[in-house]
Amino acid sequence: MSFPTLLELDDIRMNFGAIEALRGVSFKVGKGEVVALLGDNGAGKSTLVKIISGGLKASAGRMVFDGEERFFPTPAEAKAQGIETVYQDLSLCTNVDVVGNFFMGREMVKTWLGFIPVLREKEMEAVVAQALKNAGTRIPSLRTNVEHLSGGQRQAIELNRFAHWGGKLVLLDEPFAALGVEQTRRGLDLIRRIAGQGIGVIVITHIMQQAFQVADRIVVIRQGRVAGDVPTGDTSPDKVVGLITGEAVIGQAQETRPNGPIH
Amino acid sequence: MTSPRQRAIAEFILDHLVWFMLAVVLIAFSIFVPNFFQIGIFANIVEQSTFVGVMAIGLAIVIIAGHMDLSVESTAALAAMITGILFCSRGIGMGLTLTPEWLVIPVSLIISLAVGGLIGCLNGVFTIRLRMNAFIVTLASYIWVRGLVVAVSGGRSAQDLAPSLRIVGIQQLLYVPLIAWIAILCFIVFSFIMQRTPFGRHITLIGGNAVAAFRAGIKVDRLMFISFILAGAIAGLAGWLLAIRTSGATANLGTGMLFNAFAAVVIGGVSLKGGVGKLPGVYAGVLLLSSIHTAINLMGLPAHYTQVILGLLVLAAVLLDTLKLQIRQRFA
Repeated sequence: MSFPTLLELDDIRMNFGAIEALRGVSFKVGKGEVVALLGDNGAGKSTLVKIISGGLKASAGRMVFDGEERFFPTPAEAKAQGIETVYQDLSLCTNVDVVGNFFMGREMVKTWLGFIPVLREKEMEAVVAQALKNAGTRIPSLRTNVEHLSGGQRQAIELNRFAHWGGKLVLLDEPFAALGVEQTRRGLDLIRRIAGQGIGVIVITHIMQQAFQVADRIVVIRQGRVAGDVPTGDTSPDKVVGLITGEAVIGQAQETRPNGPIH
Repeated sequence: MTSPRQRAIAEFILDHLVWFMLAVVLIAFSIFVPNFFQIGIFANIVEQSTFVGVMAIGLAIVIIAGHMDLSVESTAALAAMITGILFCSRGIGMGLTLTPEWLVIPVSLIISLAVGGLIGCLNGVFTIRLRMNAFIVTLASYIWVRGLVVAVSGGRSAQDLAPSLRIVGIQQLLYVPLIAWIAILCFIVFSFIMQRTPFGRHITLIGGNAVAAFRAGIKVDRLMFISFILAGAIAGLAGWLLAIRTSGATANLGTGMLFNAFAAVVIGGVSLKGGVGKLPGVYAGVLLLSSIHTAINLMGLPAHYTQVILGLLVLAAVLLDTLKLQIRQRFA
């Protein structure tokens, strides 16, 4: 299957002082394509996600998003251009209720007397109720502060939030870390559904099985470089583990990325 | 498991605990303290709550946003002193007059707000732009602004405020002077802003998790800056009201109010961690403190006891806060 290119990373490098977190990462994500980003702890996956979403500025390299070459200076800018991110540490404000979190930064507002912006609480609550119902997530009261909810419920809010807002590209940094079996299955369904709408998805995961269930392509990062970039159908969990740990047949990786920055 | 109804009741009581405390205290005082139960006494409590109350609004907003502003007391004193110097006719007052005479009200108010806003702006520059610790920055402001008050006044006082300004302090409506109504109005307006507008929602979100708010595209730095300016300007308003009430200004005007404001904010249910608390609760906290002050006066106890009780009350409030958390967890 081929997808029209949505995001292209070209030789992205990132230094933290003397430490080279990324040493030239290049790969592409297509519209409606799910790419699983795999790699060992400290391989540079999270750094990469932050660079794409505007949380970090790359030291060098080129990024082309939706036909335009650019990096995003802030998450707000990336978001405005259609990049949604679900971070490893959840981006929820636990002191605020479910509705407030769902609409964080995008509140529905009406105007009083022509200049006083007022939150449309009822309308927002209805939207959230509908969105959660569609996704099959049950939360007793949408007016409960998030601090009183379980880890799974929190993650569900976060996932449904990005699914609702959509955009063009969705980045998920270990989205299922705290989810149960059933919720994970729903989460994976959700990802497929989003991709079905033509949205590009990058999902970081540690769990091989999930990557094979959901991804069209698997990209392996090892020591700040792309160690493998293969269609899911052309590979096996064993081979991918090999790529992650560095015991792989380098030949295969080079086959798929002949100009890749691999020694 | 508790039913949703039980839970809603528990939540309601916990959310409005300070109001229940205020009611209990007022009833207890009315029964046990001679001469307490009079309209005049209650009106006096409301009037006393004016200055600390207004100051506490700005302080609470900054604390809800996850920062700290220790400078509000000195800022209020500076605004009061400048109002005094410009519009008082005796002491160090310059006795400025305007035509028509009532113009003195808006002009002095705008000057006070501007003075306060400026101090808040400086606090904002240091904490937000230069990333310095808010506690230290505003502690410094607390010291140097008070120093400025003493310096510009030379330690002397200004007396006899312009009569048209005095009216605001003397005129009563339903037994309560206008300045107290201004404080109540401020509480209503800012409660609305914090509860119902995107600005208030964003401030609360930032106080809860600034990183999440930033990722969600909320302009965290800008809003923090605004909250500092707001706290300063509101403190300026408190100073303006103080100058009107005392018909002038002295170099040590308002000393000790910061701690009362802090106590009120904490007792009112605002968490110093940020993100938690509501302004009506803060007003209840201020009223509670004033009630206790008044009761102690009526009972003829030495004033020093007030401070002891105040300290214990703050401790009790923090203790209550931890207890509330435990109760909530049981119901969740």
